[in-house]
Amino acid sequence: MTADKSPRKDEAGRPDENFEPYELHGKMPWPLMAIAVGLGIWGAATLFDTREDVAAARNERVAESRVATAASTEPGSALFVARCSTCHQPDGMGVRGAIPPLAGSAFVAQGPELVSTILLRGIDGPIRVGNYNFNGHMPSFASVLTDAEIGELSTYVAHRFGKSSETIEAAAVAKLRGEVVDKASFKGGTEIASSTALELGSQPPFVAQTAVSLSPDVSTMIFTGRGEQWACASCHGDLGQGKENVPRLAGLPAEYIVKQIDDFHSGRRQNESMKIVVASLTQEEKRQLGEYYAGLRVPSNAKPELGGDLARGEALALHGDWSRNVPACFSCHGPSGFGVAPEFPALAAQHASYTASQLAAWVGGHRNNSSLDLMGRISRALSDADRRAVADYLASLPPVPAGEDAQIARIGERP
Amino acid sequence: MTEPVQSPEAKPADPQKGRIARMWIHAAGAGLIVAALGALAYESGFIPSRQTAQDTAGHATAGFFQPPTDDQIPNDQFGAAVRRGQAIFMNTSTNASLYVGNGLSCSNCHLGAGRQPFSAPMWAAWVQYPKYRSKNKQINTMEDRVQGCFTFSMNAQHSVKGGPPPHGDDIYRDLESYFFWLATNAPTNKELEGVGFGKVAKTELGYSPERGAQVFAANCAVCHGGDGQGQKDINGRYVFPPLWGASSYNWGAGMARIDTAAAFIKHNMPLSQPGRLTDQDAWDVAAYINSFERPKDARQKGKTIEETRKQYHDGDQIYYGQTVNGVLLGVGTPDPERPVGAVD
Repeated sequence: MTADKSPRKDEAGRPDENFEPYELHGKMPWPLMAIAVGLGIWGAATLFDTREDVAAARNERVAESRVATAASTEPGSALFVARCSTCHQPDGMGVRGAIPPLAGSAFVAQGPELVSTILLRGIDGPIRVGNYNFNGHMPSFASVLTDAEIGELSTYVAHRFGKSSETIEAAAVAKLRGEVVDKASFKGGTEIASSTALELGSQPPFVAQTAVSLSPDVSTMIFTGRGEQWACASCHGDLGQGKENVPRLAGLPAEYIVKQIDDFHSGRRQNESMKIVVASLTQEEKRQLGEYYAGLRVPSNAKPELGGDLARGEALALHGDWSRNVPACFSCHGPSGFGVAPEFPALAAQHASYTASQLAAWVGGHRNNSSLDLMGRISRALSDADRRAVADYLASLPPVPAGEDAQIARIGERP
Repeated sequence: MTEPVQSPEAKPADPQKGRIARMWIHAAGAGLIVAALGALAYESGFIPSRQTAQDTAGHATAGFFQPPTDDQIPNDQFGAAVRRGQAIFMNTSTNASLYVGNGLSCSNCHLGAGRQPFSAPMWAAWVQYPKYRSKNKQINTMEDRVQGCFTFSMNAQHSVKGGPPPHGDDIYRDLESYFFWLATNAPTNKELEGVGFGKVAKTELGYSPERGAQVFAANCAVCHGGDGQGQKDINGRYVFPPLWGASSYNWGAGMARIDTAAAFIKHNMPLSQPGRLTDQDAWDVAAYINSFERPKDARQKGKTIEETRKQYHDGDQIYYGQTVNGVLLGVGTPDPERPVGAVD
């Protein structure tokens, strides 16, 4: 087992100059072999144990890609399923009393150009379709779809549901985009009808929301900071749009924002920065902050950034994973992740890093403010890859209510 | 030179010490093998696991009949009917608009698009019909059964048509196509594990709406609202269904019975945490939810509440026709001024 590795010596006791150290093969001790064999068996057992999960995951991925392609090969159909069907439904029938149908809609029948314009601007006011009035809150897709995608989608929708034979190309959508970039969402059906020379029937009137009145003190706090509190806008952005690990606040329910402020204060949500800035807020200040951010209409500046599997993320958001008792995100946060006040925040257009970090915080115990520990249990049931997948998918969704597309661009121009 | 310091290598090895070290290594290796073999045996199911009933409530779909997934819907005429049926099932008030007189969908109680075990999965229901039902004392086809759902759970009396879809309506063809497809490869005329809502054992204390109010506030109100009227999103779309009042199921629905509601709640609620509530909690909160007024029993017609109670609810675990907190239940919520879902 042991080899003499010391240089040989000549008669004079000097080391042999030409000696090269070498090593003989020693016999491997059997306990080492045993450990190797043991680990091997362990590994095989683990593979054997997880083979069903692996197969299920693979089937899911295959199924997802098949859903996207199998239903119809018409261009735009996959986009329709991914972008429109959670609200307007796969059959375009909408939801009674809530979501207007596309099938038989006078708006859709006008052809792909009007559909493109609506997709670019979104709607934020009452609209009458068929014989029914609807609240009419539809996101703007300007920040999440390309010109080519909007063209394809509009052509598909106008053809399938409006019996239109017209098409619209990416170049024409680009031109439309340029025209509407400074315009906010349509203020309901009335504005759509008046902006076109088209016959769209009588439309319900738009009633403007009363603007939130900010006290000068709260306004100072948001934009320049106050005493030891630095400005809200210094991290959350001038428009509450957030970035990376800092959440988008624009459009979150006011009561939800107030609850989070209280939870940072009490430590149920752990965050050193937030703990400091919320420390001295009065009840009235919290209320004003909540209403201010809830009322902001800002396009999305979020995007998938974690390399998550978007198809898996979409499956979790829309259908959940019942084998793990994970319900669809949308079954509580509302179809398309628009949120349900006061407990369930909007998820659409939230920054992927932030969403993933919150899911991780629930797992790690740094966030403990979910009613019934709903999110704690769900987060723990999701794998790390699932958490990234769903965060990335949600970041790819458009926010509602939307704002004008030019807003985000203008932020950089401010002095 | 003083006495040379003995180098450690030169020191004669302590034979005892080496043996002990080797023994430890041997023991670790052997232990690892035993652990690995044990794990293998455990994972392959040679050793029975100590999975409790609580665990089965927690592992929602494992070990039950597996219905096909949506991507397996065929792309032909039958598949089109399956898709239409699924659309009706998920979005009933839109796709069967004329016959739905409240804010509910089939999928509110048949979770997972009619797939979830103990949430009255449709694959298990399909293989049980035709069937004799004491509810109407006759053989029921699936169409009869679904007509009952429209009459009671969907409160068709307040819909535009004022009643359920007539026999032979395409709504039944499409829904039955969906159920039949969900039951692909299921054995016919067999009670499958996970059928219905399951059962909850009776408790010593019985049930109490007063205790149930506490359970409701702590576990249900976050989603269904403190007033039980559900919650809507900004477009007015129900995200959480209403549990009582004019927009919920009527007094003739199975869910108005406390035992049925308790079983559904125990096995499915709160969503994502089935089994969270104790049997006692499930009974109490079911009693609480069903101690409020809701649309009248569609079978009452010209009869009094007492006559209706005797004819249709005798012996049932239901507050119909009883006085709770000084209020006679079963009178029904006021009829809507115009049918639910009528044109604006």
